Amino acid sequence: MQVRVRAFARLREAIGGDLMLEVPPGATMSMLLAAVGETSEQAEEALFEESGELRGYVILMHNGKRVRRAEAMTLTLADGDEVALFPPVAGG
Amino acid sequence: MFTDRGLERYQRQIALFGVEAQEQLARARVVIVGAGGLGCPVALYLAAAGIGEIRLVDGDIVDRTNLNRQVLHGDRDVGRAKVESAAGKLRAQNPEIRVVATCTTVDDENAALLVSGADLIVDAADNFAVRYTLNRVALQAGVPLVHGAVRGFDGQATTIIPGRTACLECIFPVAPPVEAVTPVVGTTPGIIGLIQANEAIKYITGTGDLLTGRLLVWDGHAATMTTLPVERQEDCSACGIGRC
Ligand SMILES: [Zn+2]
Repeated sequence: MQVRVRAFARLREAIGGDLMLEVPPGATMSMLLAAVGETSEQAEEALFEESGELRGYVILMHNGKRVRRAEAMTLTLADGDEVALFPPVAGG
Repeated sequence: MFTDRGLERYQRQIALFGVEAQEQLARARVVIVGAGGLGCPVALYLAAAGIGEIRLVDGDIVDRTNLNRQVLHGDRDVGRAKVESAAGKLRAQNPEIRVVATCTTVDDENAALLVSGADLIVDAADNFAVRYTLNRVALQAGVPLVHGAVRGFDGQATTIIPGRTACLECIFPVAPPVEAVTPVVGTTPGIIGLIQANEAIKYITGTGDLLTGRLLVWDGHAATMTTLPVERQEDCSACGIGRC
């Protein structure tokens, strides 16, 4: 099935724009994030700590609704879903 | 309450939203925390719009590396306190308003005093430690907070109404990492700063729709602006159940 990924800020630069990703039926948010990370080294770095843990400050959204980090493991995606990933900025 | 000069100065705004709204601006007190990339455009446009009292708070001095984006400071201001440099420009722009410059860094100790009596707080800070402090003091005092932040060609902004909208910690429960040097092009804080100033003018005059419950995301590379919905979180450590 296909899931649309909208990326913002540094993550957008890393993956070069929005993505349509092919994931197996029943894939979870965590599995999708791993697939996004596999698109490039920069994407991996933008999303994950060196330990492989998802960076805590990245905002996850599923079909326009905020997803808590703890839910990423269990949230299953459906064909045509949209996931938005936003690493906030901090400068002024 | 306006002199003929005042009516002339604000003629185009009065034509837009009326003299009463202009009087609301003249009565308003706005605290701007940060006199840097965001704070400069926010302060300049709020001064020009006729905000009656602008309080600028920043403990930094002007450095040459600031000048690509901190547009109230010029080459001759290097070494001066940012708030003094900025206040001078604002008073020259609009002598009819009051500008209060406080050269200090906001912390948990001084925040409540710095924002007391304010109608609105503008977060033009450059780090999340100060932002979280502002968020907490805004929630305690029940004063709206207009958030903005930038990096590179990217920026974000939102307007927080205590008790009604998502607060800063609802939206950003974990702070993005601190960088030794934040790369940024001057136009990014220019754009986000003006969105913040626009939010301030709308809030004070009761005009239009605020960025409440929405996070505006600007991508200067792609030249696109998007808003993402943001909600209050019941377990928020700043405004969650039983806290605010
Ligand atoms: Zn909150």
